[in-house]
Amino acid sequence: MALPPWVLPMASPLQFRLSRSLLRAGAILALVGCGAQAEARPAHLKALAEYYDRFLPSRLATCGSCHQVKPGVARPQSLEEAPHNAFGRALVESAQRLRGDGKRADLPSRLREIAGGDADGDGVANELELLAGTLPGERASTPPAALRPRLQKTRAELVAFLAAYRWRPFEQVQRPKPPVPKDPLWRSNPIDAIVASRREGAGLKARPEAPKQVLVRRLYLDLVGLSPEPGEVQAFLADTRPDAYRRLVDRLLEDPRYGERWGRHWMDVWRYSDWAGWGAQVRDSQPHIWRWRDWIVDSLNADKGYDRMVQEMLAGDELAPEDPSALAATGYLVRNYKLLSREKWMQDTVDHTGQAFLGLTVGCARCHDHMYDPITQKEYYQLRAVFEPHQVRTDWVPGEVDTRKAGLPRAFDANPDVPTYLFTRGDERTPQKDVVLPPAVPEALGGRMEVRKVELPRLARVPERQPHVIDALRADVARRLKAAEQEASGAGSADGIPALRLEAVRAEQQALEAVLKVEAVDESEGKSGSGWTEAARAAVAAQRVAALASARLEVALQESALASGRAPAEKKKTGEALAAARTVLVKAEGDSRRPLDNNFKPRIQSNYPAQSTGRRLAFAQWLTSRQNPLAARVAVNQIWMRHFGQSLVPTVADFGHAGLPPTHPELLDWLAAEFMESGWKMKSLHRIILNSRAYRMASTPDPEALKHDPDNKWYWRMNSRRMDAEIVRDNVLHVCGRLDLTRGGPDIDQNLGLEVRRRTLYFRHAAEKEMVFTNLFDGPSVAECYARKPTVAPQQALALANSRLALEQARVLGRELHSKVGTGSKPFIDAAFQRILCRPPTAAERTECELFLKQQAERLVRPGRESEQTATDLAVVDRPSADPNLRARENLVLVLLNHNDFVTIR
Amino acid sequence: MNTRFRTPGCTGVSRRTFLADTGMGFTGLALSAMLAKEAPAAGLADVARQTSPARAKSVIWIFLCGGVSHVESFDIKPALNTYAGKSIEDTPYKEVLNPERVNSKIVGGNPSHGGRKILMPLQTGYKKYGQSGLEVGDWFTHVGACADDLAVVRSLWTIHNDHGAQLTWQTGRHPREPGHPTIGSWVSYGLGAINENLPEYVVLGEPTGDCCGGTWTFGGGYLGPEYSGVRMGTDPKNPIPFIAPERNSVAKDEQEGAFSLLGKLNRLSGIEYPDDPQLRARIKSYELAFMMQSAVPDTLRLSDESETTRKMYGMDQSHTRSFGELCLAARRLSERGVRFIQVFHGGGGGGAWDAHSSIQKNHTELAAQVDKPIAGLLRDLKQRGMLDDTLVVFGTEFGRSPGAQGDGRDHHPQGFSAWLAGAGIKGGITHGSTDELGFHAVESPHYVTDIHATTLHLMGLSSRAMEVPGRRRLDMDHGAPIKEILA
Repeated sequence: MALPPWVLPMASPLQFRLSRSLLRAGAILALVGCGAQAEARPAHLKALAEYYDRFLPSRLATCGSCHQVKPGVARPQSLEEAPHNAFGRALVESAQRLRGDGKRADLPSRLREIAGGDADGDGVANELELLAGTLPGERASTPPAALRPRLQKTRAELVAFLAAYRWRPFEQVQRPKPPVPKDPLWRSNPIDAIVASRREGAGLKARPEAPKQVLVRRLYLDLVGLSPEPGEVQAFLADTRPDAYRRLVDRLLEDPRYGERWGRHWMDVWRYSDWAGWGAQVRDSQPHIWRWRDWIVDSLNADKGYDRMVQEMLAGDELAPEDPSALAATGYLVRNYKLLSREKWMQDTVDHTGQAFLGLTVGCARCHDHMYDPITQKEYYQLRAVFEPHQVRTDWVPGEVDTRKAGLPRAFDANPDVPTYLFTRGDERTPQKDVVLPPAVPEALGGRMEVRKVELPRLARVPERQPHVIDALRADVARRLKAAEQEASGAGSADGIPALRLEAVRAEQQALEAVLKVEAVDESEGKSGSGWTEAARAAVAAQRVAALASARLEVALQESALASGRAPAEKKKTGEALAAARTVLVKAEGDSRRPLDNNFKPRIQSNYPAQSTGRRLAFAQWLTSRQNPLAARVAVNQIWMRHFGQSLVPTVADFGHAGLPPTHPELLDWLAAEFMESGWKMKSLHRIILNSRAYRMASTPDPEALKHDPDNKWYWRMNSRRMDAEIVRDNVLHVCGRLDLTRGGPDIDQNLGLEVRRRTLYFRHAAEKEMVFTNLFDGPSVAECYARKPTVAPQQALALANSRLALEQARVLGRELHSKVGTGSKPFIDAAFQRILCRPPTAAERTECELFLKQQAERLVRPGRESEQTATDLAVVDRPSADPNLRARENLVLVLLNHNDFVTIR
Repeated sequence: MNTRFRTPGCTGVSRRTFLADTGMGFTGLALSAMLAKEAPAAGLADVARQTSPARAKSVIWIFLCGGVSHVESFDIKPALNTYAGKSIEDTPYKEVLNPERVNSKIVGGNPSHGGRKILMPLQTGYKKYGQSGLEVGDWFTHVGACADDLAVVRSLWTIHNDHGAQLTWQTGRHPREPGHPTIGSWVSYGLGAINENLPEYVVLGEPTGDCCGGTWTFGGGYLGPEYSGVRMGTDPKNPIPFIAPERNSVAKDEQEGAFSLLGKLNRLSGIEYPDDPQLRARIKSYELAFMMQSAVPDTLRLSDESETTRKMYGMDQSHTRSFGELCLAARRLSERGVRFIQVFHGGGGGGAWDAHSSIQKNHTELAAQVDKPIAGLLRDLKQRGMLDDTLVVFGTEFGRSPGAQGDGRDHHPQGFSAWLAGAGIKGGITHGSTDELGFHAVESPHYVTDIHATTLHLMGLSSRAMEVPGRRRLDMDHGAPIKEILA
């Protein structure tokens, strides 16, 4: 077999893609023959190929289409060696005409202008010749007469292709004018207008609006990730106001659980990870990174603009150096920390920033120029230079003096002067050290990055001077003082240790105050005045007293230990410690007799750089400027996917030429323009999408449409979707009334997922620290997860049927409903359906369930059955009920938790 | 687990068909009677799709991730020793570098691979084995000893020069085209189960990493998730998480009653969604999950096997134990009627066999892990008479370049080898060939789907008879059975 058949053009969008890339490859080969000097030509050739796209036969994607290469000239270097043929001349003349008329004279305009002309006079129009694969500038090359009728048909296709909305991801977003679909109902919302026009074009009929009962569950699960409670369903069904739906959308967008639901989506895209390592050694990400997770949730709830969010994540330390919230946002960078490889750290940072925000596989250009997209290898390293100076650190947080217990991991520029080199073939062992690369953005994406250095305020340089740190130090010593006072006021001790301890802590407090005094004087008057000298001497005095008191305490402690110690090894160790303590005491006593000086011991304080390079801030501002062609497109595509279960650009992290083109380019562009113009407000975008007819369609099938569009490419119905992993777990707890809605805070041990009842996003998620339950439901990969891939597997059935989580919750809800509705089986069945599936049972379902309750209870009392299997070591709440009728009810609840309608969003 | 699921996955199913498919052919009257659990059609394959007599009942599909060197395993090239250190351009075979030939079949290739011209000598020795005299590299002496059972195909080629070709090996499609069914899914779709207590399609070992196909390498694609492979571990106590109810607090008959109700309710609510492959898959997943709770631990209780058998698979040695367990588990699954057992070795990332450097060390170590277990599997199947109706396929995504990349070899999609053994396969033969350097598949070249077509043919299936409405497949997808290696 020769070429794979799907490489040949004219069969499917993907095939076009592939053939285009081959065509590019052909173009590259052809350029070698054109000569390196002919700088203008690669651009022309590319423009020709782009304009005619799949309609240009590959043999015409060469210099020879417009030039005559003279015999004997292997590598023509100039126009003299490769003069224009008749077609090339026609293009030049066209340019002159167009310019003369004050019109644009780019190659597409010129190609359009001379399409109908006949440059070589062979009786066949230029464009037809191009379509036929013959040379429009060579008389001898002309399509056979037999082919000509077919050419007209191809030309009609070309005309339609040129008229259609073109996907140009590397050009600035322009808001397209929505078309007017035939169906008047679909005209008012531009989303609907575009979707309906495309769908009508495909000859498909839209499904009607979904019933309210379906809509309310869809909306709740989509926006807050939790299904509506029976009362909430009833309220919506009873609300007959025409704008009831719109009101519900608005209300749910203001629900703080919205930030948790959508926070998890963005945690996928931005690669949230808690720390991982070897034992206690931190190797990936950082402890306390949950502050970034909370920042995501809070920012979404506050409807902070996406542009601002991106800026804070990439450069919060430069944008708002004293704002702990903005600093927490830089968790986006901190997450890439890699103890064992700065290279991999930088690589992940650059590659994923490219994919998450630009939808570009910039990582391909690490080793060589990108083969498909306009990113050179040099530009890859210029992007790297944006991030090169940064490092991570953990700052103090209010109320805690130990950053290992609580802290704020954040990014900062540690090495402003560290150079970035291009690594030959991406290998860090072969840097090209002759050129230091400055930070810059890929030229093809337009715009420029203006780097300005950022002066950092003192408290950012010396975070220990922040008032809350001083407060924490004072509180810490005060707490210990109180404990020592209590101990000393108790029964007297023979060794006098409580008294000594009290004295030591008191002296420590005084020393701390004395040092803080020096700092205060330093800040108000500087070091030159007499006030400072006086304060410094006072600090020395206080520190000597403290040292003496601490040394006395230590000697007493060791003496006491020696007296009580028994084992010889222990005695030896204590003896050594005692000797050391005595030496310290002698020195402290000696010090206290020396005349006072001003060499006090200052607090240990950081001295971080006073400037940040401003590179990341400049990059972030470029990224989120109106001119950036990709940022908004990539973001709206992600948002759309999470509402519809299907994205407009199928390759969500690759908008380049190796990705797949969007199904509705004009829709993506319209949404992107709208998004930017609304101030990058996600809630306003949600509103437009959720209020569209497209979103509100039923998901039920239509046999005719299924036949023509089984993948629902043209949105003739809503897609049914399975709940995301976290949502499955959250809802098992939620419908059973046991979900703990506490928001935020430190990550929870992932192994407690079946017992602790918090929302899933709060559990630890890192390499080798993943919750088994959510993994089975295709939870996010730690490495990257730009889109989930839901599967159906028997393991999921086992998790929902056998796990402690499901069994326990089913028992709890079974008993609760039982005590509410009494003994009648119909009210129990109805209540269970409402609670778990948000709908009443059908008559057939009710009949089945009634039969089941009866038979199951009989089965459970049957003598000699395997009652020994009922484990008795379970907590009472986990244990199945002893009453067979009640136990059957618990079983029914479990069945409904395993129902397809439970995990499915219709 | 029986024929009621055998409707096309995603399309063109009317409500009526669905009802019939889900065991609810007669609505209204006697509905509740029809909702009673159906008698399982155990042991019955859907013969409707079988177009030829089946030679194989099940397939053990061994896949080595990363690209195994063909020139040092099953397609020995002494010319590499003769011309070691020379550029291909300075040998009589410089024509192999013709860019048209090198690139013509590669789609969307990664330009950093290929172009290795300086020939590297063979990094291991080789011998002739058996009556057939098949030449096999010394990395595979145990498999070599089974030479008379093998049909080696030496003329494979593939379309991608990077590890996305792992997906291509399973689906026949380029890595940019995910969502196509794997060969295992087609087998499962075409035949269904023999044993309703186990999945039709099981995945053992660490599969391909996310970079290179990830879950698509055992996914049902557009046939729907019910035809995806089911992953299993080999620890009988915990082969699958949640294999038993928490602290056994649910009795067997209690659970049976609950699952039975669940099946009925799911089918009832499915009336509105007759086309929903997710629903169908979920119904099936629950029926299967119920049975798997006892069947899977039983199947994976490798300790039931005799010491002699365990040794055959190398389970007594630390370096072969892990893969030996997988191979033995594969036999036990095959024995119990699992249709397709996909055994991965060296999965995750680009794949362990990806020896861009130190190929000698890499292949020596990795081959030592798999050689004895694979040979043990072949011998064990044979001694039990199972090799007559079990097909074993040994494959990898591509070969490795004749030219050196330092002390390693680069990716090589233009020519590479795989072998088949067992049901309906002629033993002790080679088919097709590459050129003297092992560069291009020259004689009887085969795209990877020809291996798929051969597999389907041996199972009595034809992919052309399994067309799914709305999913036109290309000739390339179908491939053609390699008649020359059929017994």
